[in-house]
Amino acid sequence: MIEATLLLMRLTLGLTGMLAVGYVLATWLAPGFTRLERVGAGFGLGALVVTLWMLALSSLRLYFSLPLIMVPLLALAGGLLLVIKLGRRGHPEATPMPLPITPAPYGLWDLVFIGLLVALFLFVVPRALMYPVWAWDAIAMWGFKARVFFLRGAVDLSGFEAHNYYPNLVPLLVTYLSLWMGEINDLLVKIVFPLWGGAFLMLLFGMLRRLGLGRTLALGLTTFFALNGITFTTHLHIVYADLALTYFALGAVGLVYLWLTEAAPPGVLPLAALFFAGLPWSKFEGSPMAGTILLAAALTLLWLRPPRLARRLALLAWPVGGLLLGYLPWRLFATSHGIETGSDHILGFYLTQLLQALPALLIALINPTLFGILWPTTALALVYCGKKIFTTPILFLALFLAGNFLAILLAYAVAPTSPSEFHLYLRGTLDRLLLHLAPAAALVIGEGVNELLLREPSPAADLHSPT
Amino acid sequence: MTLNPPKRPEARWLLPLILVLFALQLGWLTWQLRGDFQDLAHRGWHHSWGTAVREEDPFYRWVTTLKWAIPPQATYVFLDNYEAGKEVEARYHLFPRRHLLLLPDSPPSLLFYTLKQEQASYLLVRDAKPPPGPGLQAALNLGAAKRFNIPGPGLVYRVHPRLIQGGFYD
Repeated sequence: MIEATLLLMRLTLGLTGMLAVGYVLATWLAPGFTRLERVGAGFGLGALVVTLWMLALSSLRLYFSLPLIMVPLLALAGGLLLVIKLGRRGHPEATPMPLPITPAPYGLWDLVFIGLLVALFLFVVPRALMYPVWAWDAIAMWGFKARVFFLRGAVDLSGFEAHNYYPNLVPLLVTYLSLWMGEINDLLVKIVFPLWGGAFLMLLFGMLRRLGLGRTLALGLTTFFALNGITFTTHLHIVYADLALTYFALGAVGLVYLWLTEAAPPGVLPLAALFFAGLPWSKFEGSPMAGTILLAAALTLLWLRPPRLARRLALLAWPVGGLLLGYLPWRLFATSHGIETGSDHILGFYLTQLLQALPALLIALINPTLFGILWPTTALALVYCGKKIFTTPILFLALFLAGNFLAILLAYAVAPTSPSEFHLYLRGTLDRLLLHLAPAAALVIGEGVNELLLREPSPAADLHSPT
Repeated sequence: MTLNPPKRPEARWLLPLILVLFALQLGWLTWQLRGDFQDLAHRGWHHSWGTAVREEDPFYRWVTTLKWAIPPQATYVFLDNYEAGKEVEARYHLFPRRHLLLLPDSPPSLLFYTLKQEQASYLLVRDAKPPPGPGLQAALNLGAAKRFNIPGPGLVYRVHPRLIQGGFYD
């Protein structure tokens, strides 16, 4: 019992250390963020920084140890904290907006939605902790690599083949927590996934508030997202990288969208850049997805022609830089260690597969088991937005979704799978690919609700106002 | 009980309709997860979680025994179909032992080449029921593979690559 308590304490320390690094980073980059948004963003940014640093250590041929990982990162966080404090002393206007003294009391609907979210976590936390790693990709890749990295004390992929060219954010995160625990405990370590899901929902809630939704509506829509179908729930307790990719997709798409609508706090693009970095570092699909976000943003700007168009287009260099920050370190490491990119994603173009994938995609979008009524509601919201799609930055969300649906179909058309197994391949991957896009669907629904209530999306000014 | 004062006329019925549909799908989700709820409650009540979940699987118990039989620096060949999903489990639990996968019906040429080239000293067969494939049978005939008596769903052989001197015809 004492041993288990100590193990939990060490795990908590590891999670706290990671969160602290990310929280300070989020505070520094986006001082206008609320505490909830900083926690939501800080969790993923902490994971990103810790794991990229671990990759850097392996590149320098240094073996993992907690002092080597934590001391430089905590020193960096301390330095940033000092910069933030000094900056505030010099510029009091930079201090984030204080919360109202008496926040509005929670209404019945607030309590219903909070209750549903609590119920979700009362299910997924024990589901994560009571069962060992069991899902295929967790055993075959992500969890396996974490075990290897922990035992070898480095990113060392020699002697086995487990899609070695895949990026390593999730394996290294599990390795990091195992280092804190001092052992491989594939039960306890899974707590990171429900927590990451919580961070995702905090971030989503914050973004919906910034779109102008009141607290109750934002809470309701966050609950609507979390409890629509089985896909999101499942990824809160399996060791897959799809939750990480979905989280970074929310950050990247959401922050760029808020920037386009001018509802974002100042300095949001450098923060968005870090979410872009998380995309290629989470999964192989992250790079093309980041490309579609950038393309959608650029096309939206060109179509809408807002004032200072050239400057705004130039500012997209931030997310481009973020993408390179997440892509290049692993590519350079892989190249220098002779890890070749596999051809298991692309071989040729198969029209029959495309024709099979199209109805499968449409069915998955309306399958209540996978996503409940999330996608039909998204379609309805787009219909409600109507002409606004072509006259407002909602165009960005529509382009992102359309581009990625097309990319999914194209990916299936070039997948080197035998005809007899293709339907299994579809069944095993389609829900995950749609999960990556689901955050954009939540934002579209947010705008649909705004449209239905004839509310203008408002900047962050009323973020703290009682609802 | 208002979410927000609706402005468009259809908002009066559309938002409640979406809420009702959401509630219905919530019921559907709960129904989908009923097996998980029951299992969680059962395991919570009987304190049978964690490693106890794994130990219910005979394959896991067998692999755990192999950890004692196969030294960590050894290489083994696992005869199985990838699709069965068990070889990845074996690799996960038996690391740092080096893992090589071949199909159960691998011909002697391929199996012998792999055993000699990779200096594998153990051969694991996931399913003990079917008769040995041609490669394994040839190795047994040559005396290059000797069975370990480890109870479980699979078979374990100690392999001596130096005893493989040909003597087969694919």
